[in-house]
Parts: sequence; structure tokens; C-alpha cells
Amino acid sequence: MKNKYIFGGIIVAVFLTLMIYLFTQTNVQYESDFTKVMEKGRTVKATGSWVKEKNYEIDKVNKTFSFFMRDEKGNEMKVVCPGTIPNNFESATSVVVTGEYTNGYFAAKDILTKCPSKYESPNKSS
Amino acid sequence: MKAYHLFRKDLFSEIRNRYAINSLAMFIIVTISVILFSVGEETISDYLSGGLYWVVVFFTGMSGLARVFVSEEERGTTLTLQLIARPETVLSGKLIFNLVLTLAMNIVITFLYSALFPAFVIKSLMLFFITFILGTLGIAISSTIIAAIISKAGSKGTLYPVLSFPILLPLILILINLTKISMDGTPFGEAIMDVLFLASYDVVMLSVSYLLFDFIWKD
Repeated sequence: MKNKYIFGGIIVAVFLTLMIYLFTQTNVQYESDFTKVMEKGRTVKATGSWVKEKNYEIDKVNKTFSFFMRDEKGNEMKVVCPGTIPNNFESATSVVVTGEYTNGYFAAKDILTKCPSKYESPNKSS
Repeated sequence: MKAYHLFRKDLFSEIRNRYAINSLAMFIIVTISVILFSVGEETISDYLSGGLYWVVVFFTGMSGLARVFVSEEERGTTLTLQLIARPETVLSGKLIFNLVLTLAMNIVITFLYSALFPAFVIKSLMLFFITFILGTLGIAISSTIIAAIISKAGSKGTLYPVLSFPILLPLILILINLTKISMDGTPFGEAIMDVLFLASYDVVMLSVSYLLFDFIWKD
């Protein structure tokens, strides 16, 4: 009878640790390679930076705005976002868009901008 | 007395009075029509419909799955069952019965739901199928052991959802997440972490319930 509790306890402990370990691993995938984003054809989070040379366009009829994004390797793609431009869009260092690549452009559902940090280490000059 | 005989006994008594089946069916109809009416003409997003699907499953489970042990207590047959069968056998029999009930309930909900909500489209069927099976297992296991705990208590109806919520919460969260990514069309290989989490939840709940059932049953 006692064997049962020892055996069961070991099983519970092992799988509980496995569960906690798996819970800490995040499954959310950020894709920083646009060629992969274009191939997949399903909802992903793409990270990159706004190409400032090509200006953004605002479509007032469809209430969207579009801009070009560049990834680390220099690939560019067109992104179409619903709604208005985020306030800090022009000063953002990088942009994360959630959406799907269809018909030659990236249809975003959501956009996040990353601000440049205002806080820098005080002894940078030394 | 084998677990199978206990399952047969429960099945026949269920077919005779149809208490659990009726309450499950009523709950499915009520929750789905309430969601339908409240949504109205608006189109709901895909992710929201996936979340609402598990809300329906959770509350339907709350209404009918506690019957397995509560009915024994109400009819006063608990003592007889304690005499003729070992605790493990009782748990196995009740677990099989609840498993069949939950599976039937989830299949009905899935078909009704996908027929009534156009937004509920699963792109990765394989992933959703595995999520569905593991989720059904988890709900059945957890609800059986909680039903055994509350059957001795005074206010059974209120205690059941209260006790189930913290135990089923990690399960429901991961199920909603998995449904979401199976709607995106994620292949099975990329969601392996979440599926493993789900499987280990089932294993933990199953072994915990077999370990603790002796104490619950004998008191």
C-alpha cells in the first residue's frame, strides 16, 4: 500500500515540474525574417523597423494607413494597418505588427511601437 | 465488482432517469442561445468565438458532471458501494462514466457551435482534435474527483463551481490559447509545448485523484 503513494508521488512530482517548466517557456513567436513571414501565410508577429525614406500613406476612405517595414537582413514589405498612426510612430526604433501576409502586403491587426530609451547610463562618456 | 460493471450500472440508471443528460442538454441550449442573442447582428472575432466555446464547455460541465457521486449520496447507496467495491474500482467506474458523458457533451457542443457561429473556423484540424481530446480528458478527470469531494458537503450546487474554478483554470487558459493558435493554422509541431503542458496536466490530475480518493471515500 505504501508503494502506491511513493510511486504516485514521484509521478506527480515529475509531471508537475514538467508543467511548471513548460509554463515558463513562451510559445509566442516573433518573426524577424520577412521571407519566412511571406511564406507562412498565417498570423505571426513580425518585428522590424520603419523605412523612413518611403513615407507612410493614409487612406481616409478605408481608414487605414500603410508603410514599409524592413527586417534585419534588409528585406522590405508593405504593411497595412487599420486605425490611426500611433503617437510615437515617427520616433520609434522598432515596430511589431501582428497579422497575416496576403496579396502582396502584410494585413496587420495590431501594431506596437518601441520607443527609444530616454534613460541612458550616466557614465557613458567615460 | 469491476469498474466496467459499475459503469454499466451508472449508464443504465442514467438512461432510466436521464437527469444528467437532460441538465447537460438544457445547459448547452441555454448558453449557446444566450450567446447567439447577445451577439445579435454583430460579427464576433475569431478569437472571441474560440474563447466563448470553452466558456460553454466549462459551464455545461459544471451543471451536470457532479451527478456521478451526488446521485449515490442522494439515494443513500454510498455505503453499499463502499462494501462491495474497492475505492480504485469505484473511481475508475465513475471516471469512465464521466468521460463518456463529457465526450458526448463536447461533441454536441462542437457541432452546434460550428454550425451556429460562422467565425468559429479551425484551420489546423489536427491540433484542434488533440486539444479537444486532451481537454475532454482533463475536464472529466478533474470534475470526477471534485464531485467526490463535494458529495459529502451540505451545499453541493454552490461548492462545485467554486472548487472547480481554481483547478480547471490552468486547463481552460491553455485550451483557449491552443484553440486560438489552431485557428491561425499553426502546424502541430510548433504548438508542442502547449500540448505537452495539457498532457502533463491530465497525468497529474489522474494520479492525484487515484492517490487521494481513498481518503475522500472512506470518511
